[in-house]
Amino acid sequence: MQLTAPNPYSGNYKLLVIVPILLMLVSLAFIPSVKRGVDFKGGTLVTMQTSEMVDAESLKSELSAKGYQVSSAKSMKNPSGYEVEVEIERDESLTRAEDLKTAFFEKIDEVSRLESDVTVSNGSSDAIAKYIEARAAIDKTSDELFMISGSSLKASEVTSTNDLKTKVSEAYRVTIDSYSAKLSAMLSTLVNYESASFNEVSASLSAKFIDKAFMVVVYSTIFVSIVVFIIFRSIIPSIAVLLGAACDIIIALGAMGIFGIPLTLASFAALLMLVGFSLDTDVLLTMRVIKRKEGAPRERAYDAMKTGMTMSTALMLSFLCLFILASVTHINTYYEISAVALAGLVADLFATWLLNGPIVLWYLEHGGKADEEHKPFLSSIFSN
Amino acid sequence: MIRKEEIIAGAKAREVIAVFLFAAIACAAMFLDKPHGVPIFVAALVAIAVAAVFIKRDSLRIAALLAIVFLSAFSIASNGVKFGIDFSGGVRIPVLLAQPVDSTTMEEMVNTIKTRAASFGLSEVKVRPIGDSEIYVELPASSPQLVSDVESLLSKQGVYRGIVDGQVAVKGEEIYTGTIMKIPSQYLQGADWGVSFTVTQSGAQRFATVAKGKGNYPLFMYLDRPADSIIILTEKQLMADATNKSRVVPISRSRALQLAQSALALDGDNITIYIEEEISGNFSLSPSTNKTRAIVTAGSALIPKLKSAGFGVVEVADVEMHPKYVTSPENPLTDAVTSWKAVGLMSAPRLVPSVTEGIPNFSYTINGPAEGSTAALKAADALKKEKELESLLKGGALPVQISIGSKTVIPAPLGEEFLRLSLIGIAFSLLAIAIMVALRYRHLQIILPMLFISFAELVILLAILGSFTIDLAGMAGILAAIGVGVDAQIIVTDELLKKENGEMRKRLEKAFSIITTSVMVAVVAMLPLLFLSGLVEIIGFATATVLGSLLGLFISRPAYAVIAEHLFE
Repeated sequence: MQLTAPNPYSGNYKLLVIVPILLMLVSLAFIPSVKRGVDFKGGTLVTMQTSEMVDAESLKSELSAKGYQVSSAKSMKNPSGYEVEVEIERDESLTRAEDLKTAFFEKIDEVSRLESDVTVSNGSSDAIAKYIEARAAIDKTSDELFMISGSSLKASEVTSTNDLKTKVSEAYRVTIDSYSAKLSAMLSTLVNYESASFNEVSASLSAKFIDKAFMVVVYSTIFVSIVVFIIFRSIIPSIAVLLGAACDIIIALGAMGIFGIPLTLASFAALLMLVGFSLDTDVLLTMRVIKRKEGAPRERAYDAMKTGMTMSTALMLSFLCLFILASVTHINTYYEISAVALAGLVADLFATWLLNGPIVLWYLEHGGKADEEHKPFLSSIFSN
Repeated sequence: MIRKEEIIAGAKAREVIAVFLFAAIACAAMFLDKPHGVPIFVAALVAIAVAAVFIKRDSLRIAALLAIVFLSAFSIASNGVKFGIDFSGGVRIPVLLAQPVDSTTMEEMVNTIKTRAASFGLSEVKVRPIGDSEIYVELPASSPQLVSDVESLLSKQGVYRGIVDGQVAVKGEEIYTGTIMKIPSQYLQGADWGVSFTVTQSGAQRFATVAKGKGNYPLFMYLDRPADSIIILTEKQLMADATNKSRVVPISRSRALQLAQSALALDGDNITIYIEEEISGNFSLSPSTNKTRAIVTAGSALIPKLKSAGFGVVEVADVEMHPKYVTSPENPLTDAVTSWKAVGLMSAPRLVPSVTEGIPNFSYTINGPAEGSTAALKAADALKKEKELESLLKGGALPVQISIGSKTVIPAPLGEEFLRLSLIGIAFSLLAIAIMVALRYRHLQIILPMLFISFAELVILLAILGSFTIDLAGMAGILAAIGVGVDAQIIVTDELLKKENGEMRKRLEKAFSIITTSVMVAVVAMLPLLFLSGLVEIIGFATATVLGSLLGLFISRPAYAVIAEHLFE
């Protein structure tokens, strides 16, 4: 497995950047078609264990006929039989019920205090007026929730706020429960399943996931950029390294769009890990080329490429094992992580050696100077 | 080449012997103090790693790696490897908090859920905090009944009852929940903490009638007091707190039993106490109705007998069966059981004579002293007590709004199959990398140390992550870490193989500056996910990859470099 390929940097290496740039452009076109998984979209993912293969397409059309918005249906074999996976979009009434419940609980304590003022003040008209006004507002919220839950109760029939609170909690639970119960009853008439698991992501939960994921991306980008700039202490090599990572992520996202790998928490984590992997080879290349003096820069880049390729192969093998494991077990977490990692590792070959490489070489051969070998911090730990 | 004398000299070095001695002591400690096995393991691991990083001796680097591998293997054997429900089967119900909370509030919430679960007889429910805005409630079995019990426990509020002398004096539903609040310190009048609340008209009337003439009586505050129940205690449980060493005057057995019985009194629904030792010889209990439940220590030998006699059985952990007493030699009337988790007795404040004159009153306060050696500790304790009381009066309500997240159900056989296949996957990954390394370097003396280090890392990672919980994401992270681990060794090896590039030490330094940089960047990219996001579903993955990188940087790479350096000389 000795690398015997000719040094790609020996000729007009600047042309090499065309390949990753083209790949990036193609990927950009596919990024909008990346599917958001349940985590980021909200909805219900039902996984059923069955003893025989189920026709996913007909299940999908039967469910749609009953008024469920089915975004995907998959059928496959797993170690203990067969498995059907149906993803159903979030029901709007559930989202509404959740909003109503939240709105109710934000106000209830205040109303309860006003109610006690009425008791304590022995029914002063001022206290009564305030209480009635506040109560009317939450009554409206409650009534809408009661309606969604299918109860004929009117909030105005409930005298004490404590009772109202209990009734509202109940109504919310009934709404959620009856949705799941109806869905599972429906599924049991369509599919003869042995066991079923419901993975429900509410609208507020998926909104929270999106917020957090966005925050993680922002902070990661900032932190990584700072660290890279501290290490290289010059603009162009730092930008080249970061560009390599960005290119990698873009191509990986494009691959997700093309191969239908959904964006879930697991694939999101894999993308973040790719930043690390991608920078790994970028750093290797840039440090070998810029911070060393032995041999010609092109030779050093070629040398770095040999090491980098070995590293990437090792990583690919690890994730290939995970990918095979995923295709045997049908564990979504495994599949999403390994597929994204494999796509990203392949993309990294282009991003590092065909994009980052030429930029760094060009920088060095056009006036940029090979750095003094200053030690990055922490390296003193390893010197003797 | 590695010379035999060198190894012997290295092994005899003082620091090497010290490291191994330390590891052996840590193992002994882990074995003897099993409940603290995990913290001991982690502390010992960190200590050895720090020593290896700061005392820069070649022999120590190798010794540290070996000692840590030994420690990890021992930990796997002694502490075991914990797998999440993905691998063991069960149900996970994540509880999402509306806003992030501090650690005291989190602890309080976890305890509230645990207490309520226990009073429902769900002692096998695991409740653990995840970050600052999520709590996992996990059930080992996936019976739909159990799941719906837990869900209703989380979404419904508990029932608060204040009982004086066998009569209900305060009902939770007669308290205006919006008025339950802590009293500002300037109004505390000498107490360390206080909570005030207002009751409804009927509530005021009830309290006035029940409490009349009961000055200094305890108000037994119950959360979800079990109805139609009996409790079966062992002698030891009854007397555990009564004979506690810190007690100046121990409480006699008859007094303890009397106090316990009076705490459980309620007209028409007494909870009768039976002593396990007395009834087990000649078992003749029978339930008074077909719904009577027996509260009994988890795993008690009486359980089958109780079941066949027709009791519903509620199993409770041993420590929750202990009644806690408070006594005062000057005023024996105020002696009482103050808390008793098994029956939901949370606290027992004394009634001030002024509220027991029989005149209806809307507003009440409950206050008391805080404990703590310093002002800060005292303030923290006061805050904790206030919050506990607020939550209790609200029927065990949690201090922030919660919503129930996506529920995961894994049947146990499927989980075991997943685990088996995953372990095979890890083995294959190691094998694949071994083949690749063999093809690339073609020298046994390079391949073997590389594989040994990869394997060592795997053991360490399994031990560390397994001390907590390995879930699907964590397992994927472990697999990824194998690939990451071998990467840095490839950098070192390639650098050392370039013989023309100057002396060994210089080349090693170069290799390490690359590794340090890339580890730093990789870790920094993952840090926000690990510490800021609270996205627990994938934290296992982030932890595994970050831990893999750091382990490599601080422990295994330096050791590998020492080995490699000698090999290439």
